[in-house]
This record gives sequence, C-alpha cells and structure tokens, in this order.
Amino acid sequence: MEMDNFTFGVTMLVAGMGGTLVTLGLLSLMMMALGKLFPYKEEGGKEG
Amino acid sequence: MMEAIIAGLGGLVIGFKMLFVNWQSLIMLGVGGVLLWLGIKKDCEPLLLVPIGFGCILVNIPMSDVMLKDGFIRTIYDAGIDTELFPLLIFIGIGAMTDFGPVLAQPYTFLLGAAGQFGIFLTLMLALFLGFPKLDAVSIGIIGACDGPTAIYVTSKYAPHLLGAVAVAAYSYMSLVPVIQPPIMKALTTEKEKKTVMKFTAKPVSKTTKLLFPLVITIVGGCIAPKGLPLLATIMLGNLMKESGVVARLAGAAENEIANVVTLFLGLCIGATMAGPAFIRAETLIILGLGFLAICLDTVCGVLFGKLLYIITGGKINPLIGSAGISAFPMAARVVAKVGMQYNKKNYLLMHAMGANAGGQIGSVIAAAVMLSVLAGMGVIR
Amino acid sequence: MAIDVIAPMPGTIKEIIVKAGDAVKEDEELVILEAMKMENPIVAPSNGTVKEIKVKEGDKVNTSQVLVVLG
Repeated sequence: MEMDNFTFGVTMLVAGMGGTLVTLGLLSLMMMALGKLFPYKEEGGKEG
Repeated sequence: MMEAIIAGLGGLVIGFKMLFVNWQSLIMLGVGGVLLWLGIKKDCEPLLLVPIGFGCILVNIPMSDVMLKDGFIRTIYDAGIDTELFPLLIFIGIGAMTDFGPVLAQPYTFLLGAAGQFGIFLTLMLALFLGFPKLDAVSIGIIGACDGPTAIYVTSKYAPHLLGAVAVAAYSYMSLVPVIQPPIMKALTTEKEKKTVMKFTAKPVSKTTKLLFPLVITIVGGCIAPKGLPLLATIMLGNLMKESGVVARLAGAAENEIANVVTLFLGLCIGATMAGPAFIRAETLIILGLGFLAICLDTVCGVLFGKLLYIITGGKINPLIGSAGISAFPMAARVVAKVGMQYNKKNYLLMHAMGANAGGQIGSVIAAAVMLSVLAGMGVIR
Repeated sequence: MAIDVIAPMPGTIKEIIVKAGDAVKEDEELVILEAMKMENPIVAPSNGTVKEIKVKEGDKVNTSQVLVVLG
C-alpha cells in the first residue's frame, strides 16, 4: 500500500516527534528515579 | 613502432582532455580545494574536511578508478559505509568522550534535547513538499539532528545517492553553530528572559546512576526503537566503558585510535561520493538549503520550548538554554553560555546548557531511532 | 559588609585576575573558572574591594565554594 506524501509527512511528524518526546520524557523520569534511588554520597576518594 | 609510442604517450594526456569534457569534474576539483582550504586555513572541522576534500579531488580526477569496483576507496566504502560500520564505530568514541553528568543531574533537560529535534521532522515535511521521495526526505531531515554520524548512518542505508550532500551539510552546519544560533536566540527572546539567572544547584550524580544510565537507555530505548538500537547501543557502550573506569584502555582506544582511523576512512569515502556529474545538481543545493533550515528550525523550536518552560516554571528557566538541545556537543552549550553572559555577566548558564546539550546528543539518536522504527512500523522500510 | 563570591559551577581555577586590596567594579572579572573545557569569567556582584582570595590557580572547586571575599 503506497501512501501519499502528505499522509506520510504528517505521520512522521506526529509519530516521530511524538515518539521522540515521549521516549525522552520517559527516560528523564527514569533518570530522576535512578537519581533518587542512588543518591550521591561522598565516595571516599575511591575513584574507579 | 613510432605509432605505438605516440599511442602510449597519448594515454598520458587523455586525462587532461577529459578534464575539459567533464566540466562538472573540473568544478568539483575546485570544490575539493575549497573544502581543503576551509579545513586547513579556516580551521573548520579540519579532521573531517581534510580527508573529505582530498577524497573529493581524487574521485573527480578524470578516469580515476578509486570509486569503481575494487578501487581503493570503493573497498573502504563497501566495508565501512555500506555496512554502516563507520558511523557506529565513531559513536563508541563519542560515547566515551561525552560526560552525561549535567543531564543526569537535571533530568528535565532531556526534554530540551527532544525539542531540539523538531527541525528534523519539519524539514522532512518540507522536503516531501518539494517533491523528494520519502526516504530521501527522511535523510535530508536527519541533517537537523545536527549529528554527522547519525546522518551518515541513516542516509547510507536509505538514500546512499545523497550521502555526499547530506554529510557535508551535517558537518559544515555543525561547525557553523556558533554563527547560526545566536541571532535566532536573540531574536526570539525578550530582554527579561535573556537575563534570567539560573543557579546551578543540582547535586553531583552517584556513580551507580552513571553506570546504570547507559544500560537503561540501551534497554528502554532499544525496546521502543529497535531499528535504532545500533546507534544507541554504540554510544552507550562507549559511555559505559568511560564511566566504569575499569577499561580505560578500551575507552581510550575508542575515543582516540579507533575514532581517528575511522574518521580518516569516513572522510575519504564521503569525499569520494562527490563525483561531479552526480553531485552538481540542483538537488544538492536544495539539500544544502534544507539542511541549513533544519538547524535553524531546531534552534527555533528549542528556544520556543525553553520559553514554554520559562512560563511553566514561572520564570525559573532561561529560554536561551533551549537552543543547546541539539547534538553539536559541547559547542551549542558554549554558545548559550556566551550569549547569556552578553546580557548578564553574572549569569552562568553553562551547566544547564551542557545538560540540554547532552540531552540533545541522546535526543538526536533517539529521534533517528524512533524515526526508523516508525518507518518500519508503516512498512516503508524493512 | 563582606560579600562572598561563590563558584557557580564545579570546575578548576584557571586564572586569578585580581589581588587582595584591589578595588573592583560591578561586573569586573575576578577569576577565570574553567568548567567543561570552557573558560568562564567570574565577575564581581557589586562594587567593592577584594578582601581575600580563597583559592589559588589550579584549584578544583565545587559549586557554592567561596572563591573571593569582597569587602
């Protein structure tokens, strides 16, 4: 099924940009959660 | 015997004759020279422009067989660009170089990194409107990711005939970020917004978080957009190696030796796609124009999103940092810090902008990955 | 009235421009703080005299650490 360029473009804008925003939003939430779960504490000079 | 000698000597001048038959090649020899000049004299991405310029010259020498079957650059091209290996190898190095600390310390900056990708999709629409076929339009839009390897990855897979134009546009505009962005940033924000002071209060990020970050991104991002998994995975592998601290040799090799070797090969191959007859077309100019627009639109959308955050937070977030939500790391963040200081010397936006910029780095990869998966979902690509 | 000039971000002291006893104007550069490979001039928040410099070149500083005291 060949879709016309307009449908294609709008789909890409909605699904693509929407998907990008949602994915990054999700990742930012997960990073916030990780930051809360493992808060920074002085790591006594134990560098890598 | 005389005839044979003359015929033999004739073989030596045929190249010069052809030079005037193929006027496009002649022009492209000049273009190659300009690229070299930009790289060497103007210090504009010399690591890329020097091999690109030279590759461009090589392929446009009449009767040159470097890009024909079994030619030396063709062999490299088939091994590294056709297979998409080179951009991925570069990505391991970028991952090993990038400190995602600022974005982890302020996770909301991920969203700014998403807003900076709007240009990709708006440009895609425009390219479709101008009559480019679907996959060509996708590859042109991806210039707006402002990320060379991503653009090369997508283009070499779905529109290899545009590779030269797209790669040159992506890399040259990336180095023009300090010129392109400030006027847009200044035009779109009010005096008061520009002067918004942001204190950097975020706590440092724990090592556990830094180690889990690449894994979470790879797994979650990979599940959402499996088509872009190689892009995500390589950048995150590099970052994991850096943050783990236990494989300093591998991380060092990824960001130095491997990246250097691959950059050389990549540049040569990109240059070699710029053969006169294929490159000198109205299409190329349109692509360069659209690419420029893509990066402007990224900046516009980033700043507008910044303004939205300014309103939502009641004036706590300086909209200028929105323009750093692109992938040109860390250049875009420095531009923000500089512009911010022009308006208020006591305003230090660098760390916030770095967050948005690192977010933009992830954002551009996610955007490309999402785009490919959406395309696959629609059945446009397999 | 003493004013503490603090580091707005973590980084390394690249250069100390003023010395104790100098009179400085608002927005005058006091210290160059290098962070994320960028040099950031740290400026005086108001007019005053440099009372004390709390860091030396090459020091690593954290956010909110006092760099210079203006009197």
